[in-house]
Amino acid sequence: MPCRRSWLIQSVLPSTQHQDKPSEKADVLVLDLEYSVATRLKSRARQALREQLLNLDAIQQSAFVRIDWSTRWADVRAAMYRGIQGLVLPGPENPEDIADIDTLMSQMERERGLNQGSTQIVLMLESARGFWNAQSLAQASPRVSALGVGRIDLTMDLKPLPQNEFRLSRYLMSRTVVAARMLGKQPLGAFWRPGTRGGVANPTQTQEAAREAQLMGYRGSFCVNPDQVAAINHGFSSE
Amino acid sequence: MTLAQDTSHQPAEKPMPRNIRRSAFVLDAHDPQLATRAFNSHADAIFLNLIKPGNPLWPSQLTTTLPSAIEAAAAVGAEIFIIIESSHLEAQLNVAIYSGLTGIVLQSIEGAQTLECASNHLTKIEHERGIVVGSLEIQVWVDNAVGVGECLSIARQSQRFGGFIIDDETLCRALGMQTQPTLSFDPLEYIKSELITVATSVGAQAMGMSYPLGLTRENSSPETVKQSIKRARDTGFKGALCAHENWISHCNVGFQPSPEEVDYYRRVIEVFAEGIRRGMASVPLEGKMIDVPVDLRAKLYVQWAQRAHQRDEEKIQASNKKRPLTA
Repeated sequence: MPCRRSWLIQSVLPSTQHQDKPSEKADVLVLDLEYSVATRLKSRARQALREQLLNLDAIQQSAFVRIDWSTRWADVRAAMYRGIQGLVLPGPENPEDIADIDTLMSQMERERGLNQGSTQIVLMLESARGFWNAQSLAQASPRVSALGVGRIDLTMDLKPLPQNEFRLSRYLMSRTVVAARMLGKQPLGAFWRPGTRGGVANPTQTQEAAREAQLMGYRGSFCVNPDQVAAINHGFSSE
Repeated sequence: MTLAQDTSHQPAEKPMPRNIRRSAFVLDAHDPQLATRAFNSHADAIFLNLIKPGNPLWPSQLTTTLPSAIEAAAAVGAEIFIIIESSHLEAQLNVAIYSGLTGIVLQSIEGAQTLECASNHLTKIEHERGIVVGSLEIQVWVDNAVGVGECLSIARQSQRFGGFIIDDETLCRALGMQTQPTLSFDPLEYIKSELITVATSVGAQAMGMSYPLGLTRENSSPETVKQSIKRARDTGFKGALCAHENWISHCNVGFQPSPEEVDYYRRVIEVFAEGIRRGMASVPLEGKMIDVPVDLRAKLYVQWAQRAHQRDEEKIQASNKKRPLTA
């Protein structure tokens, strides 16, 4: 398995805001069809996806596609082209849903000449039910290669405690790392602190979140800002 | 009247903890000084390691020396367990099980089915070797992710299940976690909580040490060891696997109610009994309200202290009978 520490999420469509180029190349580029694409632009984003995947394949950049759960069938069909290494599924809760997506992916691989079973699935756990079912979700398809901790502080309405940490997130991260290690999947997540989560964390805060996650058994994390890539890579490289 | 003889406060609840097993210590079964080391350790439980480190070959000579090794270690009143590697389950059980053992400690468990296989094979061996069927206990040394992820089905698999042994360093390594105490919190905090809860839910118990001593396994000062044991007991552990011989006496004292606690709970029992006689449902003591649950807890604590005291008496008597011999 290649080294996949930093998973940089980028919109499929060009951003209207200026974004710096990362100082380091992300280990994985995650082309996003979810939150970074407005609903009215989803169709255009799906159309743009194929060409982007081909371009990334040409420069040997690992590329995954994060789909929108509510439009997953159309998104999976739009993403399954040459160049894709896997799908990131946000907020899964039921193993049956993963099995259904696996079936569709197999059909797409046949139709589009992709190697059978080669497209991976990364599960981004985001809800109480999803965390509780982590083990059965990961076992629902042999394509599942990683278990990620998603936006738990938002979806589970966690509030910062006086100790300046989300205590529940430690429990959820423990559950996830056990399930991942038990089943031979890569655990993905960072130990974000209140006020410095994800998109608003500066490189120093990001590196600390990555380092603490690494100490808890994690081996990579998603990030949304290019300037977080180097911090993630360094955080997960330190021993 | 000694503490052990005082049976005036017997609670109606199940005894808590199930076993007085405050300290466990690993000794090599092939150690020529085994009896002396067991004699000096004063551990409640001794785990006999069959395999020499760095020598994966099965020591065939153990089949002749093991019975006397078990006898020597058990002579000081300790409960004796044999450490069994799950990947060589039946082969190791065939040569390691003898009368005098309390049970086995399973390492590298591959799921509840490992426990089922071990239990079935133990039943067969018990029949063949004249050991009371069902008497041998199985402890699970949680040293991999499966041991955590499937802890509930493991604990529920067999009546023989006696508890989980948690060794922080091995478990952290298996989960890809840090093995240095760099974090400000215990990365195993919730995993330990789950294992303790699951073990208790089936009437078993968990042994483990608190962070960071459980991870560093340092030969720390007595004060540090005592504080760590206090935290471990407050977490729900009923004993610990001792990394050093000098942890044992602290564990034997720390994993039971202190004399101050016993004094306090005796007063609770007396004050509450007097209140009941006067027709009251709750009574105050030192600014706290004593009611039925507090009284029940007091009785359990006093009984726990009595059983621990009794266990110490047994060990002293056994030690007095037996002088250390070379196994």
